[in-house]
Amino acid sequence: MSTKRIGVYICHCGVNIAQTVGIEELKSFAATLPQVKVAENYMYMCSEPGQELIRKDIKEKKLNRIVVVACSPRLHEPTFRNTLVSAGLNPYCLEIANVREQCSWVHKDKKVATSKAKSVVAAAVTKVALLEPLEEKEVSVTKTAMVVGGGIAGIQAALDIADSGFKTYLIEKEPSIGGHMMQLDKTFPTLDCSACILTPKMSDIKNHPNIELLAYSEVADVKGFVGNFKVTVKRKPRYIEEAICNACGTCAKYCSIAIIDRYNEGLSKLQALHIPFPQAIPAAYVVDPEECRYLKEGTCRQCEQVCKELNAINLDMQEESVELDVGTIVVATGFDVFDANRKPELGYGRYENVITGMEFERVVSAAGPNQGELLINGKKPKEVVFIQCVGSRDKTVGNEYCSRVCCMYTAKQAHLVREKLPDAKITIFYIDVRAFGKGYEEFYDRVKGESVYYRRGNVSEVYKKGDKLICRAEDTLLGKPIEVPADLVVLAVGIQPSAGARELGKLLKLSTSPDNFFLEAHPKLRPVDTGSDGVFLAGCCQGPKDIPDTVAQASASAAKAVIPLAQGKVKTETMVARVHEQACRACGYCVEACPYDAIELQLQEVNGREKSVAVVNEVLCKSCGACTGVCFSGAIQQTGFTDDQILAVIGAIGKEY
Amino acid sequence: MDATSTLRSIAKEVLARKDVACLLGYEQGSYGFRVAPCVLTSPKEVDRLIFSPLCVHNLTNYLTLENIGLLAGKDIGKGKIAIVVKGCDSRALAMLMAENGIERDKLVVIGVCSPGVADMKKLEKRFPNVVDKAAVALSNGTLKVTCGGKTEEVPADELLSAKCTRCKNKLPVIYDELVGEPEEGRPDDFADVSELEAQNIEAKQQKWQAEFSKCIRCYACRNVCPLCYCSDCVLDRLRPQFVRRSVTYPDNLLFHITRAFHLAGRCIDCGECARVCPQDIPLTELNRKFQKDVKELFEYEAGVDPEAQALFATFRTEDADEGIL
Repeated sequence: MSTKRIGVYICHCGVNIAQTVGIEELKSFAATLPQVKVAENYMYMCSEPGQELIRKDIKEKKLNRIVVVACSPRLHEPTFRNTLVSAGLNPYCLEIANVREQCSWVHKDKKVATSKAKSVVAAAVTKVALLEPLEEKEVSVTKTAMVVGGGIAGIQAALDIADSGFKTYLIEKEPSIGGHMMQLDKTFPTLDCSACILTPKMSDIKNHPNIELLAYSEVADVKGFVGNFKVTVKRKPRYIEEAICNACGTCAKYCSIAIIDRYNEGLSKLQALHIPFPQAIPAAYVVDPEECRYLKEGTCRQCEQVCKELNAINLDMQEESVELDVGTIVVATGFDVFDANRKPELGYGRYENVITGMEFERVVSAAGPNQGELLINGKKPKEVVFIQCVGSRDKTVGNEYCSRVCCMYTAKQAHLVREKLPDAKITIFYIDVRAFGKGYEEFYDRVKGESVYYRRGNVSEVYKKGDKLICRAEDTLLGKPIEVPADLVVLAVGIQPSAGARELGKLLKLSTSPDNFFLEAHPKLRPVDTGSDGVFLAGCCQGPKDIPDTVAQASASAAKAVIPLAQGKVKTETMVARVHEQACRACGYCVEACPYDAIELQLQEVNGREKSVAVVNEVLCKSCGACTGVCFSGAIQQTGFTDDQILAVIGAIGKEY
Repeated sequence: MDATSTLRSIAKEVLARKDVACLLGYEQGSYGFRVAPCVLTSPKEVDRLIFSPLCVHNLTNYLTLENIGLLAGKDIGKGKIAIVVKGCDSRALAMLMAENGIERDKLVVIGVCSPGVADMKKLEKRFPNVVDKAAVALSNGTLKVTCGGKTEEVPADELLSAKCTRCKNKLPVIYDELVGEPEEGRPDDFADVSELEAQNIEAKQQKWQAEFSKCIRCYACRNVCPLCYCSDCVLDRLRPQFVRRSVTYPDNLLFHITRAFHLAGRCIDCGECARVCPQDIPLTELNRKFQKDVKELFEYEAGVDPEAQALFATFRTEDADEGIL
């Protein structure tokens, strides 16, 4: 082994490190360690003059291994790797000794912290001597993107990627795009009509030359890695030829099977052969296979007779599988509305005049079952009560988080009631009102001025007394129990992760945070990235959001998803797992342990004998080290963290200094 | 027909098959109670085969050798290997298959419904210094021991191997041919482990210090273990050297603890390690503790289900997370 010429550079981090770690003592200690040629200190090693110090020594003193004694490698490892590169050294000849998070920030006693810092530095010096230069590799990128979910988040992300000039597949599991936003009546705080601002974007999706919409489709499988994903999409049979149907609607008139209208939250009915809503994109009818008499019982086929001319109806349509090659993926799978049946004390499902916020949207919508008239059982309600935080900020249902939209949509709905029923008595029960967005506080203030009674308290029970509902609560400002009568109770149900997205999460190896929403790579600095390279998050799949935040995040994830496509290549992980073929006994534990499917068993000739051995796909490997943990014979080793290196580090750290 | 006769007639047919290269079984040993593993290559040799409570060896160990011909003393050529397995041995087969250690279609498995095998150490203590060839038969809970021209009857549980007194798998989990009918299995409540667990830490430390101090690092336990089959054992390696070769208590301890960890979720309780230990270290006690933990934490028993994946090849987010130590 050639001798190494090691330089050790100790950072004061202002007083962050210097206050608790004896810099001079550490420096003279470092200078005594084997193969160390230089030990220096500086106020801010990450500053340009600090880095220049390292560059100068690499050139003048012929250093070939560098230890930076500073903060966590999560922060400045990339900085110093670049420093090495600019001085002509391989970037992997670097080791960071973290004496800030591991010493100065966690100890008060300077003596103890200094002594520990010595161990950490000794370990880093030992390890850096064992590091070998590594080569960075690149792979080319398929210049297409896939967006999963056709709500406002997916629509915005797809439009932005497509506008950047890249082919984009938009996958939507329902027969039409639009998502929950399409169901909303007005949007807070500006009271624009939700459909009016959404449908132009939906048309853009249909007309965009770079967008291919796959509606009524689901992602069945994802293989590959950033830049080179292979996606299998399952296209559910629509039973209507999407390209032929002109949405004339004649067929539906002949369909005698009435089904629940999910777009109207079950408040009205439509035919088994239907279009989800008039502005649906794709503008094509669809047959509900669960309800269609022919598909269930084998007789009828009346609709086919009606569409003789266009011949768009094909009840023999089968599910199809489509393979897509995409470079990056945006996940925009949205949310499910909290199921109000889980709060039985609030009377939902028991009393007809207890409805959810989403149902209220349909009731007051001009396109809803009552053409926008606020009628409950055919009557105009005189007293309306809104209950906030149903299924949010509620440990009893396992949702500790705030759903972030209910305060504002309740304020908006109260305003709509006031508009439609000037004499109604309106009460809102709340825990706290959160009006954090632009124009929100002003809107909340306006609603308060419209004779809407905000009462601070959690409703414990809704029960029937005569022909009224009684909401029982404690008004926590008065400190008194109160009962408020109501003809209509609206539950401000919160937002939950989409149940259908769980499988997709598994396919894309996405983690979830404790609230079960998909986890971003870093809560502040990488809010739309995920742990899987090339997969980005947009909208409520990452956490509850209102429309402005969703659209902003969708554009952000589109910008991120475009980066690899624009660059045309991605760097692969360098510190990959490597297999010692002779020691490998092909038990396959590493294959199963690998979360990235990067390892497979292959027949290879080893020492003149054909045997099965584990082979690592270096493009897929993410250097997590799971494989090395399960290998009994130590045959699989992670570059930069080999058994040799780790044992040497343990040896160095275990000594007394 | 007794087990030996049935085994011989099955073996005759199996060895006559063109696709079968050899048969791994048991034959009479050279003295006393000894039975020896043997490799047969021709139907003419089947009269050498025996099966009795003295057939203690787990023959699956031979399957992972690079060249079984060494045991046969000749080149056995290419073809399937027929192997005689007891219930416990068959679990080793299942584990080996789960780990790709052997391929099912290269085997003909002759399962024997063994009612139990003798604990050789107890047997030779009860009947010391038997040099002439002796025989042992087991029926209805009684062990008939024939040596020196006399036959003595002993209650089986006195001389049976401990693993047989708690065996649930009298019917092999994998077989192509079956010898005999399985007796009813016995429940395993891990009472032996619970007893050890109840001891205080000092008592445990004292016990294992005494036991591991006796170890001479002959590696018989590792070599006989059907699931210790890495051709390049990590404990032999010099760089990096995880365990030093010095025969001292700390290094012996490290060796045995590492081995026990490597067998967690894999050990099928054949008891071969303790049987071959020349220093009488109760090695199975360590493995038994792991078996109990693995069963309680992960509801997993190694080799019981031939279709199941190996424990370490599975990961569920809801897995117990308390650690094993």
